[in-house]
Amino acid sequence: MPDDSLYSVRNLTVEYQTRVGIVKAVDDVSLDIRRGEILGLVGESGCGKSTLGKALMRLHTGPARIANGELWFDGRDLMKLSDREMPDVRGAEIGMIFQDPMTSLNPVQRILDHLTETIQAHEPETSGAAARTRSEELVERLGIRRERLNEYPHQMSGGMRQRVMISLALALRAKLVIADEPTTSLDVIVEAKFLDLLKELQKEFGLTILLITHNIGVVAEVADRVAVMYAAKMAEVGDVNDVFADPKHPYTQGLLKSVPNIRLEEGELYKMEGAPPNLLHPPIGCRFHPRCPFVMDICRTREPAFEPVVGGHLVSCLLYQTANVKQEGLHA
Amino acid sequence: MTETQELPPEVAAEAPTWEAELQRVGFIRRIFMARRWYGADWWFVTISAVMVLGFIIVAMFPGLFAPHSPDDLVGPRFLAPGAHPDLPALILPSDSPDNELIDLAVPSDQPRPIVAVVQGVPTSGALNEQAQVIDNQIKNEPGGLRLRPRIERYATLEEALQAVVNGKATAAVVQSLEFEAISAQFPTLREGASITGERSTAGGFFLGTNDIGQDVLSRLLWGTRIALIIGFSSSLVALFLGVPLGLFAGFAGGSLDRSLSLVMDSLYAFPGLILAIAITAVLGPSMLNIIVAIAVLYIPTYYRIVRGQTLSVKEEVYVEAAKSIGARNLEILQKYIFPNVIPSVAIIFSVNVADAILTGAGLSFLGLGLPPTIADWGIDLARGQRFIQTAWWMITFPGLAIMLVVLAFSMMGEGLTEIFNPKLRER
Amino acid sequence: MTPITLIALLIGVPAFLLLTYVFIHGSAGLRHYILTRVGLTLPMVFILATLVFFVMRVLPGDPVSSALGPKGTPEMLARIRTQLGLNDPLIVQYSRFLGDMVTLHFGNSLMGGHRPIVDEMSERFPATLELVIPASIFALVIGIWGGTLAASRRKRATDYALRIYSVIIYSLPIFWLGLMLQLLFGVQLNILPISGRIDPVIGTTIKHITNLYAVDALITGNWPAFGSVAQHLVLPTITLGLILSGVFVRMTRINVIETLQADYIAAARARGIREHVLVFGHALKNAMIPVITLIGLQVAILLAGAVLTETVFSWPGMGSYLVERISSRDYTAVQSVITVFALLVALISLAVDVVYSLVDPRVRY
Repeated sequence: MPDDSLYSVRNLTVEYQTRVGIVKAVDDVSLDIRRGEILGLVGESGCGKSTLGKALMRLHTGPARIANGELWFDGRDLMKLSDREMPDVRGAEIGMIFQDPMTSLNPVQRILDHLTETIQAHEPETSGAAARTRSEELVERLGIRRERLNEYPHQMSGGMRQRVMISLALALRAKLVIADEPTTSLDVIVEAKFLDLLKELQKEFGLTILLITHNIGVVAEVADRVAVMYAAKMAEVGDVNDVFADPKHPYTQGLLKSVPNIRLEEGELYKMEGAPPNLLHPPIGCRFHPRCPFVMDICRTREPAFEPVVGGHLVSCLLYQTANVKQEGLHA
Repeated sequence: MTETQELPPEVAAEAPTWEAELQRVGFIRRIFMARRWYGADWWFVTISAVMVLGFIIVAMFPGLFAPHSPDDLVGPRFLAPGAHPDLPALILPSDSPDNELIDLAVPSDQPRPIVAVVQGVPTSGALNEQAQVIDNQIKNEPGGLRLRPRIERYATLEEALQAVVNGKATAAVVQSLEFEAISAQFPTLREGASITGERSTAGGFFLGTNDIGQDVLSRLLWGTRIALIIGFSSSLVALFLGVPLGLFAGFAGGSLDRSLSLVMDSLYAFPGLILAIAITAVLGPSMLNIIVAIAVLYIPTYYRIVRGQTLSVKEEVYVEAAKSIGARNLEILQKYIFPNVIPSVAIIFSVNVADAILTGAGLSFLGLGLPPTIADWGIDLARGQRFIQTAWWMITFPGLAIMLVVLAFSMMGEGLTEIFNPKLRER
Repeated sequence: MTPITLIALLIGVPAFLLLTYVFIHGSAGLRHYILTRVGLTLPMVFILATLVFFVMRVLPGDPVSSALGPKGTPEMLARIRTQLGLNDPLIVQYSRFLGDMVTLHFGNSLMGGHRPIVDEMSERFPATLELVIPASIFALVIGIWGGTLAASRRKRATDYALRIYSVIIYSLPIFWLGLMLQLLFGVQLNILPISGRIDPVIGTTIKHITNLYAVDALITGNWPAFGSVAQHLVLPTITLGLILSGVFVRMTRINVIETLQADYIAAARARGIREHVLVFGHALKNAMIPVITLIGLQVAILLAGAVLTETVFSWPGMGSYLVERISSRDYTAVQSVITVFALLVALISLAVDVVYSLVDPRVRY
């Protein structure tokens, strides 16, 4: 595993047991998250990015389970941890910010109690008073007055609730913060403030952030690298400038073209052909081939490997792959 | 959407596809396919539906299933289930073609049959009496058969039976239970009918008899009809009153809604049984009054649920959209609100029938419901309570019957709830 | 001081003090809510009382002649009717009824000794209380624990077993359950008594202070009496409690399942809060909120169940009193009992709502 990689995901497959069969929401995905970076994970609704995010903490319950894979976080494989050991990692080493802060906070619990409970769950020897002090300092750093800790979630505004979510993720100085569509429920101005705050905190606390979103603009603004997912597989990964300037995967190209540009003339909106595939019965060969403007015969039968094209820029597309295609390990 | 839906967005988007496929499949197949989806809940609903159907059939044709009439005094009192009444029975050689006393009749010119009895036991008197009765019946018939048995008395039971074995007597008449006790010693003998013609073989009264000699099983089966009539009628009345009221109140809103709801809420909060007791106490015991009393109890249930659903559907955006393109109120009621309300009403109905049967039985148990001449489970239970020390079967079986019927209906309601209620669906 | 007054004071005074405290210390929102609820209770009682009156007076059936039976001469009938005010216009009767109800003036029994009904209820009400309270506690404990357990082990054997349990229990006629328990423990095994509150001989030694025999025995240190009461309590309590528990298991299970699917539970899990804390701490607490309201509604089932249980076990409480009086056509008594029940229901409903507002902060602000 490369030195500067905080989290190395290898061949992760997450399965959902449904009424009509087994669906692989994440299918043999490998990914590296480097220390100190902000990695943006983008894709359409239903491509598997949220499932991937939750899998990083082994958060799935009920019908979903991790069928296969290795989760090398900070030198150890989280898949080897027992159910009893896993909660120690959650919150303390990996933190999560959820999409809807209104429903992600317990409506009958005060904000303060959310924080102190988390602190004391991981550091039980902390006294109530000490936990309270830490909580106060934490929220003030995030721009919330300490008196508001005694309030209930429904008494706060949306932006403030989202900041509470950040504070919960940071309460124990987690190394990795997974932000799952954190700005989707916020309006544009609040979103901008949120992203600024995120960048500040990253520098101050030395955080590594995985930012899951379907909004490419957000990624362009804050991310260092970007990963693009399509139909439960990883399509493209690379430096954000590289990928945006020179997208290799046809899907990424289509995605970027779809972003409306204010300079476009009327009637020039671009729309990709087709629709995302049925994950119960995904297409044979490359999953994108039914919609790909550059489709070749081989794409209908052979699945592309996820391989580097240029340096840190990886793509899974047969357009770039040589005749002797082999599955290799990932080097980011 | 948020992450805690049961299916990830990637699969939920595919839902329309398999639903479309589903439309093309026939109804029966759909039922079986549903088994895979709903798991145990499918079994709940199916098993209970079968049970309900069974009960309905029994209720419609109790005469087909019941061995006796429920009011007739067909047997001895307090007979335990499966027990034999202790009657004087005809004991015959195993190969004898006869079975009843009348079979021993012979033409007048033939030798009279010899019947062995035990000395000092009153069976000989009963035998004489019975033989005379039969003789008077047959002596004027063509064929010239007479029944004038010669009675031989023996000192002990064994000797009397031995006489039959040895051929010295055509048959013996002894108490059936006594014979059964030692029947192993006389493998060549068998028990025929009792001399008075009542059945003495096992299984005559499958569930026993009650304190005045009625067959418990027959009363049980006939009681099904009463229970189901009460259950269905009261629920239907409540439905036809409560649902329109709920629709109306939910749709119209305003002060009418508020005042009606206040009345319904107060009614709903009040203990049902007690209200039913009050009503039947004043109206008097009769089937109709019970149905009315119980119906009144359940009107608020239908009202509340239907009103609640109407209110929430009314607020939906698609109703607003429909209104904006000019849909009239009645149309909205018919097309949008009513179909949404039906699943809930179906569930409430099945649970209601269950509850109504319970309440009805409770009322008759307390002596406040039906007139005591009707064969009803609750009344039987009340009767049985007095004899709890001696006749356990009088209270066990009627109560079991109540429980099974109520169970069938509530299981159906419970299963339907899990299937129709999307929030609780998993897998 | 009659026992009934004593009990009313014991419950009423602390409740009133609590209400005042909450009122003063609570926010404006809370105050407003409580006032509204109290205000709504009055119409509810009013409606129920009217219903009682309506049922008792206006529907067919002549109480007086039934009560007197064949012995009543026309003059006696007429005299009693005037005495009871049954010849007055309906409106007058109604207002008198309301007045009587407010002042808790229940009148005298139409039967035999013409005892004041208040006295008779003073004996009966504590008996019902003594049955109903342990049964409720029993039912709550089993119900809430079982329901939460089923929710946390969803779709596994424990869940199905508990669901089957609650459906079967719900379908059991309570009077049949009582009879079966009597049969098993009373008749066949002969280890528990099957009727009455206390052994008749030992019963003479009890000093009646509150008329709650267990309490009275405890206060006076009368251990044989306490033991006898406890023995007599076992079967009726199990009967009533078991039936109630079925309802509670089902309610709790559904509510906890729903709560467990909430986002904030997943968010808490993501912070490393352990599963059992999530289920029994967070989920249960949040699930309890709707369950509290539902528990309040179960009072109705409780009272109905009490009537049947008391009849089966010859337990001398309000329930069996009601049934007895109906059979003997003592309409004054019947009317009084039902009125008391209506009052009880209204009060408990009010109490539940107030407690609900205390537990769920969203309601107050």
